[in-house]
Amino acid sequence: MKHLLLRLEPVIWLLFGGGIMVGTMLMTAWIAVVGLGAPMGLVPADALAFERAHALGSSLIGRIVLAALIALPLWKGAHHTRHVFIDMGGADRDALVAPVLYLLAIAGTVLAIAAVVRL
Amino acid sequence: MSEKKTFRITRFDPDRDEAPRTETYEIPVDPDWKVLDALNFIKDEIDGSLSHRWSCRMAVCGSCGMMVDGKPTLTCKKALSEYGSEISVEPLANFPVVRDLVVELDGFMEKFESVKPWIIRAKERAVEEGTHRQSQAELEEFKQFSMCINCMLCYSACPVVANEPEFIGPAAIALGHRYNLDSRDEGAHERNEIFRGEGSVFSCSYANECSEVCPKSVDPAAAVNQAKINAVIDWATGFVVTRGKE
Repeated sequence: MKHLLLRLEPVIWLLFGGGIMVGTMLMTAWIAVVGLGAPMGLVPADALAFERAHALGSSLIGRIVLAALIALPLWKGAHHTRHVFIDMGGADRDALVAPVLYLLAIAGTVLAIAAVVRL
Repeated sequence: MSEKKTFRITRFDPDRDEAPRTETYEIPVDPDWKVLDALNFIKDEIDGSLSHRWSCRMAVCGSCGMMVDGKPTLTCKKALSEYGSEISVEPLANFPVVRDLVVELDGFMEKFESVKPWIIRAKERAVEEGTHRQSQAELEEFKQFSMCINCMLCYSACPVVANEPEFIGPAAIALGHRYNLDSRDEGAHERNEIFRGEGSVFSCSYANECSEVCPKSVDPAAAVNQAKINAVIDWATGFVVTRGKE
């Protein structure tokens, strides 16, 4: 398992890096607009109307962005949690913990893709 | 030398001690002294059995790295005036101790060698073809990463080295990355394979402690994280580019 994890590290790290970028840049803007701007009336009420949001989300680019927004932070979370676990002295059990975390990220990614495909 | 400071120094004699112990020395200090000057005073005037490494006294040789008040420090560079009246001096963390403040370098040197820190050419250039020319801009690409003095403070500060001893580590990765950026070099793929192998660059969790303690502003954390990107690009291009005997 250790060898397999090492071989997969470039792709895991890419997904993790993507998660950091999406999490810190897009997600922050997302929360600012949807979570704060809309309730505080800073964003016009009809800007987030269902039909408008659905049309945006169900376009090709919209689906890709939505899938990335959901899936990539899961990889960031899985990878960070793995490293926190290692830093807390869990290096010996990494071969057990890492697959569980990455399987959760894979499951979340599959669910995210399924959800945006069905939009 | 009217001011006095107290030094709590870790001592360890492998022939006598089962575990490291602490010895305390109160000495008069000069306002201009570096930490190393105080250690040399103790060795010369009080206790000749104290062992510590040092050589150039000008932050070039990288020999005198120690933990001063718990922080990896180049003792010839750090002024004594920056510390209080009591100062602790210990051997560099994350290294086996040989004696007193002297640590074992073998593992570190093996890691250094593992990244092939020399110019690799696919085909050697004939002498009559002349020298490898390099522009100022090409030199600037890697110059910062070539300023490392191998003082090992970054290994001592790195939380990943502490947990995963096989991690290649900041200075060695910075050195390998320095050659990967060198316009005269053609060995990047070989080094990227090493960077992806046992003790891989991806073990780095970007705590940035290495760059914090680096006395030469090499910024090894930047080198490690640039090396990660290059190692990924090298891995991905391997699917579409056929490489030679490498």
